[in-house]
Amino acid sequence: MSKLGQVVESIEKYNKFVLDQVKRARTDEKFGRELLGRWNDTKAKIPVSRTPTGLPLPRLALPEIDEPGEIARYLFAEGLPGEFPFLNGAYREMYLEPIREVESFEKNGEAVAAGLSPANRLKKQPARLPLQEEPTRLFSGLMLAEDTNERFHYLTQHQRTHRLSTAFDGPTLYGIDSDADGVFGKIGEGGVAIDTVEDMVRLYDGFDLGSPNFSASMTISGPAPIIMAMYIAAAKRRFGPKVVPKLRGTIQADIFKEVQAQNETIFPIEASLRFLTDMVEFTTREMPRWYPISISGYHIGEAGSTPVQQAAYTLSNGFAYAEMFAARGIPVDQFGPRLSFFLDCGLDVEYIALARVSRRIWAIGMRDVFGAGPRAQLCKLHTQTSGRSLIAAEFKNNLTRTAVELMLAYMNATNSCHSNSADEPFTTPSEEWIRLAAHGQAILLEESGIFKHTMNMLSGSPGMKAVERSVEAAILDEFREIERLGGVLAAVEDRYQRSQIQNAAHRYEQQIYDGVRPIIGLNRYRNGTDDIPEVKLARTPRKKQQLQVDRLAKFKKKNAEKAKRTLDRLANVVERGENCFPMLLEAAEVCSLGQITGRLQEVVGRFRPMV
Amino acid sequence: MASPIRILTAVPICDGHDSAINTINLEFIRHGIEVIYLGYHRSVGDIVRAAIQEDVRAIGISSYNGGHIEFFAEVVGLLRKRGANDIKVFGGGGGTITHEDAAAMKRKGVDNIFFAGTSLTEMTDYVRQHYGRPRGKRLRAKSPDHELAHKLTDIEDAYAARRKRPTRSAKSKIRNPQSAVRNTNVIGFTGPGGAGKTTLIDELVLRFLNQNPKGRIAILSHDPSVIGEGALLGDRATMINSQNDRVFMRSMATRGQAGGLSPATQDCLALLARSGFDHVIIETVGTGQEAMPFQKNGIVNQTVLVMNPDYGSRLQLQKIVMLDLADIVVVNKSDLQRARTAHTEIEQRLEQNRRNQRLIDTVAKRHRDPGVDELFGLISRSEL
Repeated sequence: MSKLGQVVESIEKYNKFVLDQVKRARTDEKFGRELLGRWNDTKAKIPVSRTPTGLPLPRLALPEIDEPGEIARYLFAEGLPGEFPFLNGAYREMYLEPIREVESFEKNGEAVAAGLSPANRLKKQPARLPLQEEPTRLFSGLMLAEDTNERFHYLTQHQRTHRLSTAFDGPTLYGIDSDADGVFGKIGEGGVAIDTVEDMVRLYDGFDLGSPNFSASMTISGPAPIIMAMYIAAAKRRFGPKVVPKLRGTIQADIFKEVQAQNETIFPIEASLRFLTDMVEFTTREMPRWYPISISGYHIGEAGSTPVQQAAYTLSNGFAYAEMFAARGIPVDQFGPRLSFFLDCGLDVEYIALARVSRRIWAIGMRDVFGAGPRAQLCKLHTQTSGRSLIAAEFKNNLTRTAVELMLAYMNATNSCHSNSADEPFTTPSEEWIRLAAHGQAILLEESGIFKHTMNMLSGSPGMKAVERSVEAAILDEFREIERLGGVLAAVEDRYQRSQIQNAAHRYEQQIYDGVRPIIGLNRYRNGTDDIPEVKLARTPRKKQQLQVDRLAKFKKKNAEKAKRTLDRLANVVERGENCFPMLLEAAEVCSLGQITGRLQEVVGRFRPMV
Repeated sequence: MASPIRILTAVPICDGHDSAINTINLEFIRHGIEVIYLGYHRSVGDIVRAAIQEDVRAIGISSYNGGHIEFFAEVVGLLRKRGANDIKVFGGGGGTITHEDAAAMKRKGVDNIFFAGTSLTEMTDYVRQHYGRPRGKRLRAKSPDHELAHKLTDIEDAYAARRKRPTRSAKSKIRNPQSAVRNTNVIGFTGPGGAGKTTLIDELVLRFLNQNPKGRIAILSHDPSVIGEGALLGDRATMINSQNDRVFMRSMATRGQAGGLSPATQDCLALLARSGFDHVIIETVGTGQEAMPFQKNGIVNQTVLVMNPDYGSRLQLQKIVMLDLADIVVVNKSDLQRARTAHTEIEQRLEQNRRNQRLIDTVAKRHRDPGVDELFGLISRSEL
């Protein structure tokens, strides 16, 4: 049985454990009394929020139950926010306004002063709660490194924390150089062009990479270990070797979803996984603040999967990575806290609870199958609203679609969120619509009172619970099927997930065509006069593209000798089956991305597309 | 009857957006078009080489990752440089290609760009109207490969027109006749669908190219025609190593003939066999138990049967005719659990024949698989 089969068993076992606890709370009087005591204590300590109109509200909403069995069911099956199994949130107080006045809240809604409650101490703490650093991650990348750098400085000029999110151009995503056959027009399109460590230095110029207020996110998977090595090399050039343990950020590096959905794989699967594990082994040891992988369902969802498929494949990919890293000998409590997740949020009803259920499954699986401690049980989640749900016809409706999706994402207690621009069906988002999209989040979290006064505000309705049960059962069924096929890797090589996703995508289109799936303005309430926004496209000028090619030529010429020797050594290390990441770090100093990719492909082969 | 329209479709380099083109390909073949699908992340050089070798009427490019003006223009430019002006270029990219871009692309020689919202029917009609007319007088081919491609088309067209014999010009020799026939080794690959023939051949090609810095190889690959409709000729999408100037590859649809090959195969193979290649590889479609695709004493001088370990009961082996005929039997996917049993059972079956047939286990999907090395050794040694 692969670990995934054990995960299925662990969830079944845990669900049975919950039922046993419910029964025990009802039959074992002492246990029942303990639970009731804990419950009343928790309730008594809940501080009070005051709404702008003066209405008092508890900062934590709990179900109105006073029977030990039901209390057991709540505490064990869901957990309070920030408590195992984390159904209601990975942390406490995620979106709440800082507390103004400290009161405690009794169950009848009457507010009384609380004296020295834990909440009172909280007030004096200058330390910010997990998500009270700015949750904004500004995804950007265009033209050459210096152009993106300028944009980064512009975007962060008024921000205390600098959280940059980097998009790369096509050649970089495929691990090839800007001078490769037929890529000239793609240099700097859709993201920034990175060929060498020198580009990487330019990209983050002026930012203090070792500062606790800086973090870099890099959206790249196929050549991720090479790009990671270039980032480290660039940081060392600017700040010396001591900066390495201080580096903070995320690199996507999710190979499974590339093969399942996004088609940006450059080495055969097993070799890709090996290079990934080499990198993770290095970063968990040397860069304890770095997230070396972002396990991504977003692209699976965007490629057309159902919500359940998205969650099931993403989680099972995550468990497969965990199994791989553990097999390499990396302790689970070291790599576990450095894993993060990225999910899509669309308009299907499953999204009411998809991320909630995912967080629960992850926590139970990590604890009970992998023996993870509390920090390694958390499914830390970034959500993006669905790009696929946005359409060109009457595109302003996309604002509403995104708003609904945002609401769903926050009902799932996502740790951070990106809202899409309404003009996405046409182009790379323009500033006007980006601004509206960002404001959508501010309106929901800051202007509206829905999320800022009370944790759990919209959790636990009977309908939501029904969705949770259905979704969990369906995800476990998917796990069982993958297990039956021999585990994640075997299923991937068998094209199982890929075929399922394509099939679901086809069904979705067919449903739109047949009108079974209403899309307003497209197959329902159509007015026929599509208003297309004034699109001003930012294209990379030829002169800049040529500049990138010229710089690369200069770099290659300057380092020709060293590059050859280093690549030979790299090839040897890979042949011998050792961890190649330290050698990649050396290679990143003197070789281009394409040179490294090319040499690695000579040794391990190229990815053969699954068609 | 005229030949079906042949077109090539591809997604540009650094672009993995293949879902639109997958849908469009299926629609094309449903309407009688033969589609050679090159796959995603394909360079200009790969696209133009394939288009010329396959002698298609047009290239359809689906681009979603930007840089399209440049990319399409480079394809048109390289076609012209290679003297293949008669191969037209069209494409689309949903909302990523603006009307302004499309105008610029048309000025640079692109026939047409389809925008978001274009129906599949519109696209199919366009292809049939614009690329379905009989060809005019052919331009003079600029290279031997180009000329060879033209001649293969002539042979296929002649069969499509139900003429028993192709025209004289089609059978006449191409340039560089002194290198013809010489050491050409013609190897036939057959076996059930999904056994891994295509991947195996591609891995052999990689070894050949590495070992013979100047050698050339030709591949004649077959895929079935859908009854009364077109065909999806998709082997190139998997054969990443075979997209190389030293590999001449031609994809053929069976066009209604049973048994794994096309009516025109024999003549096409004969032409390739005297066109100066070191090896000519012919790959059948996935075949059934009774198939005997290669003629006795024909041009094929070595036959390889590629088996999947999962052939069913032991009794099934007795029914596979090619097990009596093949010179080499390959059990591919030998990393599967079933493979050991398969090897033993097939070995016994071959012993009954007393023909000194070779049995090799391979894992074609694995880089540098020793089984494939062994097979390559066998094939290269048998050069005439």
